[in-house]
Amino acid sequence: MIDALWQNLDYAASVVLFCIGLYTVITRENLIKKFMGLNIMETAVFAFIVALGVVEGGDAPIAGSGATPPFINPLPQALILTGIVVAVSTTALALSLIIRIWRQCGTIEADELREVE
Amino acid sequence: MKRALTAALLVAVAALLLAAVAELPPHGSPDSPPYTHVSAYYLEHGPDEAGAENMVTNVILNYRGFDTQGEVTVIVTAMLAVLAVLLWTGQAEGDRPGPAPTATGSSLVVRFIVRVMAPFIAVFGIYVILHGHVTPGGGFQGGTMIGALVIALTLVLEDTRSAALLPRRPARLLQVAAPLTFFGVGVIGLVLWGEYLYYPRDPSSLWITELLLLVIEAGIGLGGAIVIATIFRVMGAQR
Repeated sequence: MIDALWQNLDYAASVVLFCIGLYTVITRENLIKKFMGLNIMETAVFAFIVALGVVEGGDAPIAGSGATPPFINPLPQALILTGIVVAVSTTALALSLIIRIWRQCGTIEADELREVE
Repeated sequence: MKRALTAALLVAVAALLLAAVAELPPHGSPDSPPYTHVSAYYLEHGPDEAGAENMVTNVILNYRGFDTQGEVTVIVTAMLAVLAVLLWTGQAEGDRPGPAPTATGSSLVVRFIVRVMAPFIAVFGIYVILHGHVTPGGGFQGGTMIGALVIALTLVLEDTRSAALLPRRPARLLQVAAPLTFFGVGVIGLVLWGEYLYYPRDPSSLWITELLLLVIEAGIGLGGAIVIATIFRVMGAQR
């Protein structure tokens, strides 16, 4: 198990990053910090999927630039580009909702908001 | 109590994920499943039939064009939702964004550096958009740079001059530039070849495909930049 993990150190690193994000989401009461945690989790997933496409000794997948096979897998990169754009969109929407909550309730601490009702 | 629960949950999640990760094929092996199915086809045939030398661009705009059209629609929808959440006050005049954030907060150094760097950032952003099919880059990346440039300029310029950066009427049209260009190119394919978002594949007409991809890249870059700048402007106008 340890050997396999060492071999897949890139994946293990994104698992650690994911757990850091999850910890932030659970423990912080400030909504902006909670959302930062969610962004860290997203980043962990992106890093994991992009790492799936890496090939030992591979070049960037651009033909005609002097790069030679084997190429890095272009599919995860394309999928993650989509994912990043969606993450940006959700971040923008969440931040605007947080601004609205702050205007309406005067606080963005989740525990104080529970009492506001 | 809560702390113990959190720790237990984190340990459980980490153990589960690490166990799963240890079972995966070794990192970087060319035999791993994600590398051997469609990706092999894309890598082998992409440069000859899809129009761009950058194979990520091929996958995004050609092989999986529908996905990307949905994606640009998502950005525009998110922007509309942000506008609705922040500007909707139930009254009629809630339609218009307030003044952009003022320049009072930034120091002389910041103002000077941003002004000096602005033309270079703009040129680099346009280069990244228009060269996305032969070098790393593309519409989203370049558009983000241009959007960030508009944000930086908004921060250092006075209200009146930064408002001129993003005039409201053209901005309203350009916000939907990305989905509209996609739709236009899709309809071109529908009219000329009978399939929505169709690109010609034979080598003699590959230049048409390349041109269509370039048009989409430009549209995505322009639309993305305007959307990002608009979101920032609306959020910055909140006091």
